[in-house]
Amino acid sequence: MALLEARGIGKTYPGGVVANDGVNLVIEPGEVHAVVGENGAGKSTLMKILFGIEQPNAGTLMLEGKEVRFTKPRHAIEAGIGMVFQHFSLVPSFSVYENVVMGSEPHTGITFNRKTAIAEVQALSDKFRLKVDPLPPVGTLPVGQQQRVEILKALYRNARILILDEPTAVLAPQEVQELFVAIRSLVQQGKTVIFIAHKLPEVLEISDRITVMRQGKTVGEVKTSEVTEKGLAAMMVGREVTLRVDRAPTDQSQRVADVRGLRVVNARGTEVVGGLDLTVHTGEIVGLVGVEGNGQAETLEAISGLKPIAAGEIKLLGESITGLDVLDRRGKGIASIPEDRIAQGLATGATVAENLVATRLGERRYVRNGLLDLKAIRENATKLIERFSIRVGGPDYNVSTLSGGNMQKVVVARELAEQPRLLLVNQPTRGVDLGATQFIWRTITDARDAGAAVLLSSADLHELLALSDRLLVLYRGKIVAAFINTPDLTPETLGTYMLGLATQTADEMQPALK
Amino acid sequence: MSNVPSIDKSSRFKAVQAEIGRALGALAIALVVTAVIVFLTSKSPIEALTQLFTAPIAKVRTIGLWVDDIAKLTVTGLAFSLVFQARQFAMGVQGQVYVGGIAASYVVLSPIGSTPLGLAAGVLAAMAAGALYGFLPGIAKARLGANEIVSSLMLNYIAIELCNFLMRTSLPKPQPGVLTSIDFPSESVFPALVEKTRIDLGLIFAIVSVIVVWFALYRTSWGLKLRLVGHNSRFAEYAGIKSTFIMVSAMTASGALGGLLGAMFVQGQTWGKLTVLFEGGLAFEGILVAIVARSRPLAVPIVAVFYAYLRQGAALMNVRTDVPAEVIGVVTAIIILLVSSSFSLGFVTRLFGAKPAGSAAK
Repeated sequence: MALLEARGIGKTYPGGVVANDGVNLVIEPGEVHAVVGENGAGKSTLMKILFGIEQPNAGTLMLEGKEVRFTKPRHAIEAGIGMVFQHFSLVPSFSVYENVVMGSEPHTGITFNRKTAIAEVQALSDKFRLKVDPLPPVGTLPVGQQQRVEILKALYRNARILILDEPTAVLAPQEVQELFVAIRSLVQQGKTVIFIAHKLPEVLEISDRITVMRQGKTVGEVKTSEVTEKGLAAMMVGREVTLRVDRAPTDQSQRVADVRGLRVVNARGTEVVGGLDLTVHTGEIVGLVGVEGNGQAETLEAISGLKPIAAGEIKLLGESITGLDVLDRRGKGIASIPEDRIAQGLATGATVAENLVATRLGERRYVRNGLLDLKAIRENATKLIERFSIRVGGPDYNVSTLSGGNMQKVVVARELAEQPRLLLVNQPTRGVDLGATQFIWRTITDARDAGAAVLLSSADLHELLALSDRLLVLYRGKIVAAFINTPDLTPETLGTYMLGLATQTADEMQPALK
Repeated sequence: MSNVPSIDKSSRFKAVQAEIGRALGALAIALVVTAVIVFLTSKSPIEALTQLFTAPIAKVRTIGLWVDDIAKLTVTGLAFSLVFQARQFAMGVQGQVYVGGIAASYVVLSPIGSTPLGLAAGVLAAMAAGALYGFLPGIAKARLGANEIVSSLMLNYIAIELCNFLMRTSLPKPQPGVLTSIDFPSESVFPALVEKTRIDLGLIFAIVSVIVVWFALYRTSWGLKLRLVGHNSRFAEYAGIKSTFIMVSAMTASGALGGLLGAMFVQGQTWGKLTVLFEGGLAFEGILVAIVARSRPLAVPIVAVFYAYLRQGAALMNVRTDVPAEVIGVVTAIIILLVSSSFSLGFVTRLFGAKPAGSAAK
């Protein structure tokens, strides 16, 4: 008998969006069951229904053969279901044990029994091999440990079934391995894990069975031992996809960007980039590798002119741009695709046409005597919508009506409407589905092939390895390793340097620094 | 999304329709609540409600009061819309009205005031003073990081007391002890458009302001930059827009409108002179107008028409019956609450146990 079963789940949101349509899911006790699908395939909605956050319009949930209805997360928790969200719900200033027991604290009389709480949390973490110190404030812990706190929270409430929503998205490769160790130990001790993901190699490694979703429907359920990555990808997308880009040989003789001794300090005065030297040549993609927060984002922002620099010099084609503002640097041929499209890359309340022209308001094509040429602005938008196949009703629609992948295409279209000299890219495909990923990779590579120098930062090592010509590993704002990208280079090798476990010597780095 | 809601050409129109429906729904609910209160508190509720709903259009004179309120609420609504669109919460329109009124008074009471140029000189002086007064919290925010809400509110008090002070000291008065200036020379007073009413040149200024603000926001690059800063200032910085300049200039332009409103008060048929507290708390009601109009310049006058009617109805009800004008505060509060909380009429239908209809809000 299945432990948890969803039959014919349907969910239509008030706006008419059909998120789930006849979805079936069968979870056997003691397995790791992966649910995969592109963004917007309805995975998250299904999980929210399992956890009682959303109510289905159709279908039934069965727990151990008995029909159940969860109208609140509390009902699901009482039934033994725990969920770890992508965005953690922790109180940063509270200690680990306080976060774990919060809401169901052990008490003697009316006082909070801290000793018992600490002991219980310690016992749980030992039992399930989720190593974490109960005492420090959660805010001081790395992301991987915070995730363990979330898992402990669910276990503390006696979860038998643990739902992990894209748990690996925020982790470095080594941390992913540690998470997998923990998942295996959970399963050994009788827990059941539902694992939501869209990175297929990880799914293949950890799961026993896989349910594939596409466009709100379940496409199929397969045994992990019987599928390949390619087959799985085809099921997810509904057609064959090749997540591969061929990098043509290009002329990389000319130095485009030349950064010397770059130093950036944050608002609190802490050094986030410490004396960075790097060069990017025409027709090459240089990947900045690192766990998030090791200075990659700041380096890119310093070059684009968004972040003031504390020291150093930035040259573009031999000419110093250190003193120029954002617009002037854009005028010199710098384009940038920022990390977070909604927070920084777009004005979602404005129309597609307005977003597409926002960086060119100094050009006579669109603005004369301070007046907008609405016709030219619309034509520009229509042309770019066509060229970058953005799915939108028209230039006058608000960007907020677009899906994540199409929003990202708006950003890419604006930045690559004209061939840039230097392209700065940060997390180009985060939260973007496979189809759009393929398109965005192609577009970035095309810019490179046409002679642009590209500086790329990404949390996805597969992306970096697929696109880059050279890779620089950053740890605490310094380059600790440099590689020329070859097929032998693995995520594990990079991971060792990313976590600061090893550092290359200057001689080792030399060949890849040019 | 698995099933992108089918986007057709009319979706924009539908959104506008929904907004109007929501605003009217809020108004209806607010009026029902008001009626209940009036019935509970008044000795003659029917008489009171009749006054509230019919008094403004009962006589030519009261229609004049209504139209005059429309013009003034439109201008203050536009001033707030402009800063709200740039997502600056400057609350300084009241102060700008006072400094505008003061500046206009000094100019028109000078020899220039008795020349044909007096009227225009007064208005321009008022706008310049208002603009400067709007600029101050802007530059303080840009340079010193001063919160614009706090600084603009404080500047309001300064302006009110400055008016008070000047009235007691330097301004020429008809007789000692009164707190009004001498009447402005007739060359500097806005001519009435309709005889024996308060409908004057200010109405034309209001209409022109609507067009100018709309044009500036939607047809100039400054306006596009302003709206982009308002939508997402991080994006604006990233795109190379100098958001500090936009912020300060939006607050300055809004200040000019506030100053214009000051001139409309003191140079208009309402007063034709400067007096203490001449603005009577109207400037702040622009916040309500801007919120309900969603800061859209073309919607501002429409909202002003409705709101001015209620405002005058309440004032007349106050004078003629036992219901105080403060009752209108209830209406205002409910409307702001409902409109800004993005309610939908669906909740009303649910309240009565009916099946929620998706189209109810349209």
